[in-house]
Amino acid sequence: MTWEFEKVAGPYQGRTGGLAWDGNAMLFSAVQEERVLRFDPATGKADVFRNYTGRANGLAIAADGSVFGAQEGGRRVIQFLKNGSTAPTRDLLGGKHHNQPTDVIVDSVGRVWFADAYNSTAPYGPPVYPFLDHASVLRLERGGRRNWKLKRMTHDTIGPRAVLLSADEKTLYVADGDVERGDVCQLFAYPVKADGELGPIKVLVSLMFGERGFEGMCLDSEGNIVACAGWKKSGGGPVIHVISPAGTILETHPAPADMPMRCAFGDAGLASLYVTAGDGGLYRARNTGRRGAPL
Amino acid sequence: MMHGSLDNLKAEVDMLAPGAERLVDRNPPLDIIARDIVFGEGPVWDARNKQLYFTDIIGDTIWKWQPTSGLEVVLRPSVKADGLALDLENRIVVAGWGGRTVFRIEHDGSRTKLADRWQGKKLNSPNDIVVKLDGSIWFTDPVGGLYNVGMVGKDMQRYLDNQPVFRISADGKQMTIVADDIVYPNGLCFSPDEKLLYINCSRERLIKVYDVNSDGTLSKGRLFYQYTGPERGVPDGMKCDVEGNVWCTGPGGIFAHDPSGKVLARIKTPGHHPTNFAWGDDDWRSMYITNIGSVVRIRLNIAGVPSR
Repeated sequence: MTWEFEKVAGPYQGRTGGLAWDGNAMLFSAVQEERVLRFDPATGKADVFRNYTGRANGLAIAADGSVFGAQEGGRRVIQFLKNGSTAPTRDLLGGKHHNQPTDVIVDSVGRVWFADAYNSTAPYGPPVYPFLDHASVLRLERGGRRNWKLKRMTHDTIGPRAVLLSADEKTLYVADGDVERGDVCQLFAYPVKADGELGPIKVLVSLMFGERGFEGMCLDSEGNIVACAGWKKSGGGPVIHVISPAGTILETHPAPADMPMRCAFGDAGLASLYVTAGDGGLYRARNTGRRGAPL
Repeated sequence: MMHGSLDNLKAEVDMLAPGAERLVDRNPPLDIIARDIVFGEGPVWDARNKQLYFTDIIGDTIWKWQPTSGLEVVLRPSVKADGLALDLENRIVVAGWGGRTVFRIEHDGSRTKLADRWQGKKLNSPNDIVVKLDGSIWFTDPVGGLYNVGMVGKDMQRYLDNQPVFRISADGKQMTIVADDIVYPNGLCFSPDEKLLYINCSRERLIKVYDVNSDGTLSKGRLFYQYTGPERGVPDGMKCDVEGNVWCTGPGGIFAHDPSGKVLARIKTPGHHPTNFAWGDDDWRSMYITNIGSVVRIRLNIAGVPSR
């Protein structure tokens, strides 16, 4: 089946990024424009959800309806609260400032997992704090008096780009490696143990040097990983893969534009797949034959 | 944390025009005032009590330093306070940066809010502040305190679409925008006769100068100087000396300009990133420089405009 994409919004300046379905509409980041927009399929229009986001990229919706954003420009995960304000989270890991988060997810108990990557665009402000000597998946969780605690989860990543949990939250998928930094890109799976710690790494997919890796991922209703990857500079070009939980690439479809960034299911029944891309567009395919995993 | 080493620290001055030695020696003496400051800012000399106030934005503290007794905390947490000035009654007025307020510290230590909104919306992040001889308070309101690592407060959402320079009238009752044509306003200072106001822009690395009108408005904004060059450092802290020369942090150090804008000298403090400075001591010929990591003092050959 050929997936047919239509451009439903954009182009915006720079790449579009993070996506999150809020139940009625698709939130998406115009990273360089420092805005989060909201595409309403009922009207076909994209309106501003939030301005002045400080280059927020990845988005995730919390149980209370607030939205977490991976703020690349400010080196922190931020929380867009429903009253219109924006709260920071804890950005110190053992007293050191972490890197530039690029993707974020929230699990069913409210823990916030994020990919703390390096980024080619410098953060805001004077360079007081060097970057960490590792780029890892980090996790925020509420401690006493609801203060955020921050913890390092992975010790074997070199530049995580995207994070995803399986439907039962017993597996964490991590897309690792940034081809623009010369990394070799891979897709990892880690068991999430009952105590919340991660078990041993398993390599699901390994790419060749120079191939652009997995930048954004979402889960379909069968537990497969739908992942944006590739670019016009190598291999099979810009694509969307469907990957089984065991790491078998089940399907590969041409992406609607070069540098596909993120993907997420939306619309009624989570029957459409939305994709952001390097050309600043928001794309949608209604005929993928797949549905999103229930949110 | 990245702190510059303070070993063998000395100031070196690039003499860039004839007569520069009237302002500063090539190797002026340098003293270390404070170490272990994460991000020093906001220095102001309190002549009445012979002490220096300054802030550590990331360290979330307003400090006081006296030559005999050393450092003492004035306020912690400080809402990530940034610029400081003294009002006509010698009280500290604070540009609240991450806390998004302008407030005054009374002599008994209590705090009085002077401004936190413009037309119902929260301010951006007040950065630097100056008090005119008529008692009016002027401050810049760029957005850095809503984004910069280690500097934000509880609500970091930007609400204003502009980054203005504000004036609060001496009676505290009126707040007005006096300039709204600077991309990222940061440091500001009056000329010795207060007929000119200089405002710099960190983003475009320039200084603008305006005529100050008797009704508290500004007019005829024009470019005073624009910095170029690859070195680290941007227009940030800025003050005038008694002859009307304009001193401003910039690429690679602190620049001295004559009133026409011509560069006379540049002070380099190696290993550091100067953020701001204040004139001080009895003769106002000392320059207290705040850095990433420290506060230092050098001696000049010319006096600065007294801070009060």
